[in-house]
Amino acid sequence: MNYAKGKEKAGKIAFMAMAIVCIVAVVAIFVFLTVRSIPAFRKIGFFEFLFGDNWASDRYDVYKDPLSGSYGIFTMIVGTLAATVGALLLGGVTGYFTAVFLAFFCPKRLKKPLSAVINLLAGIPSVVYGFFGIVFLLPILSTFAPNNGTGLLATSVILGIMILPTVVSLSKTSLEAVPLAYYEGATALGATHTKAVFSVMVPAARSGIAASLILGIGRALGETMAVVMVAGNAPTYPTGLFGSFRVLTANIVMEMGYAGEVQEDALIATGVVLLLFVLLVNLAFQAISGKAVEKITRKTAGKGRRNVLKEMRENLSYPLHLPEVGKGLAWACGIFSAVALLSILGFLFWKGVPTLIQKPSLLFGKYEFGSEDVTILPSIVSTLMVVALSLLIAVPVGCMTAIFLNEYTRNDSVFVKIVRTAIDILAGVPSIVYGLFGMITFVRIFTGASNLFAGSLTVSIMLLPTIVRSTEESLKSVQAGLREGSLALGAGKLRTILCVVLPSALPGILSAMILSMGRVISESAPFLYTAGSVLSGMPKGYFDSGATLAVALYRLSGEGWYMQEAYATAVILIVIVLALNFLAEGISSALEKRIKGENNGKKTR
Amino acid sequence: MARKQDRIGEGYGGEIALQNTKLGYGKTDLLQRAKEKGFVQKAAVSADEAFDGTIVVKDANLWYGSFQALKHVSVEIPNHKTTALIGPSGCGKSTFLKCLNRMNDLVPECKVDGSFRIGNRDIYGKIDVNLLRKNVGMVFQKPNPFPMSVYDNVTYGAKTFGIRKRSELDEIVETSLKQAAMWEELKDRLHQSALGLSGGQQQRLCIARALAVKPKVILMDEPTSALDPISTGKIEELCKELAKNTTIVIVTHNMQQAVRISDRTAFFLLGELVEFGDTEQVFHSPADERTSRYVSGRFG
Ligand SMILES: Nc1ncnc2c1ncn2[C@@H]1O[C@H](COP(=O)(O)OP(=O)(O)OP(=O)(O)O)[C@@H](O)[C@H]1O
Ligand SMILES: [Mg+2]
Repeated sequence: MNYAKGKEKAGKIAFMAMAIVCIVAVVAIFVFLTVRSIPAFRKIGFFEFLFGDNWASDRYDVYKDPLSGSYGIFTMIVGTLAATVGALLLGGVTGYFTAVFLAFFCPKRLKKPLSAVINLLAGIPSVVYGFFGIVFLLPILSTFAPNNGTGLLATSVILGIMILPTVVSLSKTSLEAVPLAYYEGATALGATHTKAVFSVMVPAARSGIAASLILGIGRALGETMAVVMVAGNAPTYPTGLFGSFRVLTANIVMEMGYAGEVQEDALIATGVVLLLFVLLVNLAFQAISGKAVEKITRKTAGKGRRNVLKEMRENLSYPLHLPEVGKGLAWACGIFSAVALLSILGFLFWKGVPTLIQKPSLLFGKYEFGSEDVTILPSIVSTLMVVALSLLIAVPVGCMTAIFLNEYTRNDSVFVKIVRTAIDILAGVPSIVYGLFGMITFVRIFTGASNLFAGSLTVSIMLLPTIVRSTEESLKSVQAGLREGSLALGAGKLRTILCVVLPSALPGILSAMILSMGRVISESAPFLYTAGSVLSGMPKGYFDSGATLAVALYRLSGEGWYMQEAYATAVILIVIVLALNFLAEGISSALEKRIKGENNGKKTR
Repeated sequence: MARKQDRIGEGYGGEIALQNTKLGYGKTDLLQRAKEKGFVQKAAVSADEAFDGTIVVKDANLWYGSFQALKHVSVEIPNHKTTALIGPSGCGKSTFLKCLNRMNDLVPECKVDGSFRIGNRDIYGKIDVNLLRKNVGMVFQKPNPFPMSVYDNVTYGAKTFGIRKRSELDEIVETSLKQAAMWEELKDRLHQSALGLSGGQQQRLCIARALAVKPKVILMDEPTSALDPISTGKIEELCKELAKNTTIVIVTHNMQQAVRISDRTAFFLLGELVEFGDTEQVFHSPADERTSRYVSGRFG
């Protein structure tokens, strides 16, 4: 065997090895959690666990003796569903009308900035939403609520705001994908703009809108920290708009830190139930979004123009005045979304920025045990350490997996299909489930106590699906002739990939990397029990524990003594995440330009 | 077919075709260099039969899955001549062309039989596909410069075969760009992105890029179909120049182009080679009725 051939082989093996690592990680989560949940189902009983409505855990429960605690999660299943429905009613409906507004009614000049603002909100950490709930929403609600404002209403509002960007952006995309000919046909038949929009365009985008709502449901189901901060978390049914209740994700967060033997397995089983919910949502999404694509292509290609017009005429003949109402709602929701989202930022900045200026010790001070003054400098360092290590792990593994899938395997092979599906599912798994997995594996394997290394490993698995997917997207969009051009010059596959394909895919990969950074910084649920959650001194290394910024915000706001500091931390978080978003956008478009040779100055003929 | 796919990276076995002549750039012998660095086997270089760009195909058949795209094609393409492939869309011209540098290996369900010999070597036998492609260059319909500088585009092939020294690379760039008659227009922008060039320049750069590895044969698949008349003219000039010491096989839909630049013409129809002969003869006194109808523009 000679040098060149050996190199080709080594390359392929390296890519394959990373793909295997990736697949093992995916499979490990499912298998590990499922296996670990079996004892709980056995001991507690399948039905008692799922449909029992009394959760009274006992940390001294062991498998040998009869249970002294009681483990039924039905109240939480109901709570989760109620909160999701609430979020859908508020955020889903508002999002739907906002999307219609943006697609069809928004003045041209406002369209871009508005869409941008709404997209930015997708990047804001969930702890920040939760914090906003605590400091803004709950005080308002408590003026007329029988309690301090916590409960279903507050949860639904916060979750509704959180799913808004998801619903808006996807719905908007599918509304804009409806062929313009439909609109023209409708107006040619005498419909007004409003009527054409609501009786022809919106129905045509139905499946896409449904898919966006399902994606929103997925996000609401899996949300942890924001809910924990405003729901109250007593293990009871949600009764009415107010009153403490608990969702599945919250159950894990609330009790994982001090769980006993049976309790821990019951919590893992809770995670498995959560996984099942997500799986169902994922299936529904696949089914519906597949249909959406199919429908648009069929409508434009298969069906003759005459049929489309006929269908339109039928649609137009509804003697309803609903369209006018819809128009009003679209305007109202569009404006409401923008105002709501801007006011969150405005409020937090207004409260937080003065603290940052008055108390620089918050940022730069030294931690002293027992001191009144807190400093988030150690948290900033912890965050940076986790970001660095997790990207160092996830980016190579993810990119190489994507290369293996895209360049070395046949697209239609069963193996690749399975891997892709697994990765898709993993992308929807709630972050607290990763935290749970990280705690019972990495933390135990290494020091036994939470440490930054375990936290980084945990979150790098969480990043894998996004990195694999977006790298694959970029690889697929590499101009078709380039690979052939390189091979035709006698270059081997490895050289083709490294020297031609990868550089072209770089903008996409880089922006995925930066967005992953943002994600690590904004997550908190996966870190609570892996990296650590105590605000203390500088981490002494990766095997020391440390609270990341987002976790620090959770801690600061939870204790109630450090509200000023919490505001300031929220501001810092928002600024970092938004800056990263801009950076991602900027870098990828700059690179794109350079690759296309656009800033070469004048072009000659 | 799985077996065939495996072949892509293989073929470093005993006999290695197509690399026997001196591939000199002054002191630089590409192959010698490649051998020293272990990129190819020693045996490859020591073979000393004079290699030429004669292409002999006997009874070639090709299937895409169950669809037969080439049927019993036999043809002898002479060395240092330009051969044009003409025929209506979908008749298998590109398919035939891609057989000659084994780009068809990339199509998973593609199956080939028959004998393909270039320079008296069986190119579907035990050979190194990468070396084959180095010696049988290809220019595509759509210009496909790599997203890198002009310089890096031209040196891509040489670097593949182990040349790293700056001075040698500089020489290769200058020689190839001069051959492609674009040294004057590009010498001041060697380090700018090739994607900033115009379509015609990009296509000529792709030709220069192919020339940089000193191919014996250049395959061109409708190289001017995406270009304006002036760029087309330049490329035709270039072809005439190159034909002096290279074998050129060019697919074209432009009858005038075929007449202008080719010595031989092959007419394909539905996967069959209907007629092959001197261009003059094929266009003016075709032996086959179908050829006559095609070249006079009555179908296709
Ligand atoms: N990868 C492939 N898989 C299956 N069928 C193919 C493939 N490539 C080409 N074909 C089929 O083989 C036949 C010959 O294709 P080919 O591209 O060689 O035609 P062509 O003569 O080059 O046509 P054109 O002038 O349009 O370029 C066509 O019927 C085409 O549909
Ligand atoms: Mg063709």
